[in-house]
Amino acid sequence: MSTDPVRTTVVGERATSAPSALAAIGVAKSYGALSVLADLDFSVGPGEVLAVLGPSGCGKSTLLRVLAGLEPPDRGRVEIGGQPVRGPSPDRPMVVQGATLFPWLSLRANLEWGPKALGNQQSGAIVDELLEATGLSGSADLLPRQLSGGMRQRAAIAQVLANQPPLLLLDEPFGALDAQTRLRMQEWLIGLLAERPTATVLVTHDVEEALLLGHRLLRLSHRPATVLEELALDLPSPRGRSTLSDSRFVQLKADVLARVLDA
Amino acid sequence: MALREVQGDAGLDLGDVLGPSGEIATRRRLTGWRRVAVGLAFPAILLTIWSVASATGLLSDRLFPAPADLARTARDFVVAPKRLPVPGVIPFKGAAVEHIRASVGRWGVGYAIAVCVGLPLGLGLGLSRWMAAAVDPLFHAIRSVPITAWLPIALVWFGLGNGAARFLVFIGAVSPIVVATADSTARVPRQLVDTARMLGTRPRDLARRVYLPSALPGIVTGLRLGLTLGWTSAIVAELTGQSSGLGAMMNAAREVTRLDQIVVGMATFAVIGLTGDLLVRAIARPFVRWADA
Ligand SMILES: Nc1ncnc2c1ncn2[C@@H]1O[C@H](COP(=O)(O)OP(=O)(O)O)[C@@H](O)[C@H]1O
Ligand SMILES: [Mg+2]
Repeated sequence: MSTDPVRTTVVGERATSAPSALAAIGVAKSYGALSVLADLDFSVGPGEVLAVLGPSGCGKSTLLRVLAGLEPPDRGRVEIGGQPVRGPSPDRPMVVQGATLFPWLSLRANLEWGPKALGNQQSGAIVDELLEATGLSGSADLLPRQLSGGMRQRAAIAQVLANQPPLLLLDEPFGALDAQTRLRMQEWLIGLLAERPTATVLVTHDVEEALLLGHRLLRLSHRPATVLEELALDLPSPRGRSTLSDSRFVQLKADVLARVLDA
Repeated sequence: MALREVQGDAGLDLGDVLGPSGEIATRRRLTGWRRVAVGLAFPAILLTIWSVASATGLLSDRLFPAPADLARTARDFVVAPKRLPVPGVIPFKGAAVEHIRASVGRWGVGYAIAVCVGLPLGLGLGLSRWMAAAVDPLFHAIRSVPITAWLPIALVWFGLGNGAARFLVFIGAVSPIVVATADSTARVPRQLVDTARMLGTRPRDLARRVYLPSALPGIVTGLRLGLTLGWTSAIVAELTGQSSGLGAMMNAAREVTRLDQIVVGMATFAVIGLTGDLLVRAIARPFVRWADA
């Protein structure tokens, strides 16, 4: 590990001091005797995509549920703009693993759900624009089960974006898709987030996905999850399929993969 | 191929299921006129056997009336000129509309009350662990009391009349509605509820906007079962001294051993029960189509 192509920050010694969109401070959680999260400290800056990489079963989904306010931490706290998180909010929606749309509603009605719940009168324009951006305008009247897996996944992300949240929580959004579809989805998400900068915590067990999408990487240990390393990922943008063959990316991927396998 | 030989040895002909190369082929679906034809042909065959058995004396008309006799009785029930009412006598000829109206009326009122009570109760049981823990044991204990065992207390509470019949319909219909609603509400995926909350849906709107629509296919099954059970309860209620209704008519026919009238009553019963079920299915269809396989 001689000359890393990117800046490495030792855990706990945070390089940036920009105001954070989200901060997790000493977050710990267990289910009965099973300790899942152990004193996690990290923050996400405004518009920043934080990729959280960890092995299956290490507690990534649990972490997102805590960040979303769906479950309280046992110890520590999560703060948004300095205020502690106390419950779920449309300001930090989570797109769950194996994304769920409301199966009895058309795609358009699914996307309109959020703005209508918040009493937003201009839902029509936002939803039209998101349908366009997700390439689903032609499928707006279909039911979720009539869509392909990739379309459903995009729709689920568009659904929560319709409320224009400042923070987005994504739980292995493309895990269930085939490799080619996944790459297309990843490029789509990169473009989407570039157009409307949204602080994002993206959880994945896939090294390539973490490096391709993240502005910064947070690598977690096996259960109970602790932060093993934090890594700024200043790869050239715009990122996409060409990034995969970029020499810095290839080197980085090999390094991170080696550390993951050694752990 | 060895597989097929083994199956051949076992005397099973799976040629339709296993394709020529041994792979599993989908069974051909019956659709359109074929389905209608099969649906008509089978009862027609039964009817023929029945007619022959009756004509040859194989089937005694003391045990079961011949088709022709039944047809005549059924026609009398519907279209014969109505006689002047005799006090204390339950009419048969020309009285179909009167009896059907009485039975369906009791059924409708009792069922409507069962829906109004059963849906909220089921939703509550499915949503609240506390309520389920408190009410479940008692509810399931009461539910296991058969409808006939409710009859004496219904008569004491309501006397002979529509009240007791409506009450029994209610008792019969309410429990499948409650059980199905509670069960399908409790099974609504947590992720749907979480998603709704993260989209800004207020907690008090979750029951109406998420639980109810998501549980609807299961609830409709409960509504259908309740409808049929309520209908059978209506007849149980009428067997004891109502002056009108299909059950009362059948009871009167039993007292004078008019087997043909009893069977016509049963058939009327079956047709109306089926019609009710088809009606509920047709009404529910657009709302639950999303859950079709
Ligand atoms: N509600 C729960 N009750 C008990 N154990 C749970 C619960 N949710 C998750 N777990 C356990 O916590 C651990 C981490 O789960 P999860 O956060 O889903 O991991 P990941 O998303 O990283 O695969 C697993 O061992 C899982 O079995
Ligand atoms: Mg997970």
